[in-house]
Amino acid sequence: MSAVTPMAPTPVRAAAFRPGSRRRLRKGGWNALALLVLVVMVFPVYWMVSTAFKPGQKILSYTPQWFPTHPTVSNFSDATHQAFFWNAVKNSLIVVSVVVALSLVLAFLAALALAKFHFYGRKPFIVVILGVQMVPLAALIIPLYIMMSRLNDVKGVNHVLGVDKLGGVIAMYLTFVLPFAVWTLRGFLLGVPKELEESAMVDGATRFGAFVRILLPLVGPGLVATSIFAFIQAWNEFIIAYVFLHTPEKQTLMVWLASFTTLRGTEWGPLMAGATLCSLPVIVFFLLVQRRIAFGLTAGAVKG
Amino acid sequence: MANIEFLHVTKLYGGDMPAVRDLNLEIAEGEFVVLVGPSGCGKTTALRMVAGLEEITAGEIRIGGHVVNDLAPRERDIAMVFQNYALYPHKTVYENLAFGLRMRKVPKAEQKTRVEEIARVLGLGDMLQRRPAQLSGGQRQRVAMGRAIVREPKAFLMDEPLSNLDAKLRVQMRAEIARIQQALKVTALYVTHDQVEAMTMGHRVAVMRDGVLQQVDTPQRLYDAPANLFVASFVGSPPMNLLQAGIDYGAGTLQLGETEVTLPSDVLASRPGLRAFTGRTVAVGIRPEDVREAAGWDGARLRGRILLVESLGSEQLVHIEIAAAPLERTDLVDAAAQPAASPLGVDGLGQAVTLLGRFDRHLLLRPGEAVEVAIDPQLLHFFDLETGAAIPSVQVPLAAEVAT
Repeated sequence: MSAVTPMAPTPVRAAAFRPGSRRRLRKGGWNALALLVLVVMVFPVYWMVSTAFKPGQKILSYTPQWFPTHPTVSNFSDATHQAFFWNAVKNSLIVVSVVVALSLVLAFLAALALAKFHFYGRKPFIVVILGVQMVPLAALIIPLYIMMSRLNDVKGVNHVLGVDKLGGVIAMYLTFVLPFAVWTLRGFLLGVPKELEESAMVDGATRFGAFVRILLPLVGPGLVATSIFAFIQAWNEFIIAYVFLHTPEKQTLMVWLASFTTLRGTEWGPLMAGATLCSLPVIVFFLLVQRRIAFGLTAGAVKG
Repeated sequence: MANIEFLHVTKLYGGDMPAVRDLNLEIAEGEFVVLVGPSGCGKTTALRMVAGLEEITAGEIRIGGHVVNDLAPRERDIAMVFQNYALYPHKTVYENLAFGLRMRKVPKAEQKTRVEEIARVLGLGDMLQRRPAQLSGGQRQRVAMGRAIVREPKAFLMDEPLSNLDAKLRVQMRAEIARIQQALKVTALYVTHDQVEAMTMGHRVAVMRDGVLQQVDTPQRLYDAPANLFVASFVGSPPMNLLQAGIDYGAGTLQLGETEVTLPSDVLASRPGLRAFTGRTVAVGIRPEDVREAAGWDGARLRGRILLVESLGSEQLVHIEIAAAPLERTDLVDAAAQPAASPLGVDGLGQAVTLLGRFDRHLLLRPGEAVEVAIDPQLLHFFDLETGAAIPSVQVPLAAEVAT
């Protein structure tokens, strides 16, 4: 294509030009706002990381030091050598993996029932699932604590559940992860046309086979989104773990972080180093599944 | 291959109006039967009951002589094509085609040869590794057909498989499906709301309304001898003109508005049933192609005025307003086929009916002109206004089921 079609010069009208420039101005305004929001969101994270690398005397200086001039890793070694660090890591990992696994299985089955079967009381059940998420967690802690402490006396259950047991905390986490997970997955399942299952069943699959071969792969993004939610919730949760877990060996990372604040004050350097370390797993997990969640969340938003 | 039988099949949802009421129908081995009717008439429910996706409230469905009421869909060995194709979006075309074979534990090598053979026949050979999202509507349609064919099932069930295609592709696929069915000689039950599809594709057409089977017959006989007003108004495009007329069997006359039409003795003789309607009003039907411009034609003359001329290229569709009584029992006909009541009204006349005529394209006709049309009394259809049932002609006896 070497020939250039000669074209008559289009008269540029002033009226046509002005709306364009106004649009550009408005777009620029939105971009500036987005940038501002970004800075506000990112700054605390930056401050955490930069503080973690500052030597102790520079942290609380009157003139804020924006960038650590003499970065040090001593805060990190202080943090990791703090008592019960590795216990806390282990406990957090146990809690998170059990919560993620259990919530995925239970929520998928519950969402399947809500999306695909008609049963008496289905509508009220869906409303309850929504309603439960609106109850503030802080209001529930005392009643839940009383219930859990009673479980300590129930034979057979008290090995796993109860106060000062990881199982108790896991059960607590499930109570607020499950409603959200069921709701999200139900949306994903509703987005899968029922003809797909029917077609699979006519083609020779059993009902269960149709679930596993057709529905499960199709709600994959939903499962990923749900697992990220469960992961972040269980990993970051502080107040329940703080109230329910007394013994230092049984505490999770978030509770362990609080141990830097003592009666004599707060050790900011090691605290920030610990916090930085604690946020790493979430970031890694998110990066691993990030491509899928972008798709998953929009798909869930449109349907359901 | 096998036949499919419906024996007194009824389907109730919730308990009020049945979706399908006492359906009796046999689809012979290798036959192509089309279930047609307006939306909500129970045709899809009937099909889904054969597939096993819907429970049967009462009655029996047999496939190849075996009662299948309590069999799961996968045990019935039938294949179904869905309206929205229901292709598995996460599987490639190859995996979609092979899914049914895999479920039936067909050896891998045989799966491959059969899938590739079908893909070649359907022109999907170089698309086997694509996913459904990367295909056009027509290609998806073909994959859905292929998935049904490759299994070599006892019967095909098709639920409005063409309704998502654009008009041109629909005509093309219509012929293709009919061709495939003839080549494979497989029993097929096809559901559609489009009467043109029904007429062109089926060996026999079963017309349903409100869960009740109205008539089953070959397309031609359905067109020539509709069993009742509903079938008459539903089958044919544009639909049959329907109006009311008083009848006097003894005098051999039909009172159409102010025009008295003489019924020749052979017309009367061939419809002895008309005698009982003497002095009463009956519904009279005439197909648009049987309404003719009077010049050069014999038969009863009707005067009217042209309201609208629609040129179709090969012919023209003329809306003519004549003085006659419109059909009052609109509950007995297909709602979609009823033209709106004449908005203008012929001056000085009481009631007016819009008569649709299919005229030769060379006739010069303009809206507003007066026109005279000729109607051959032989070609009139007569219906009982009470029940809607046809008053049959002895020359075209009604052999098939008639709804009561």
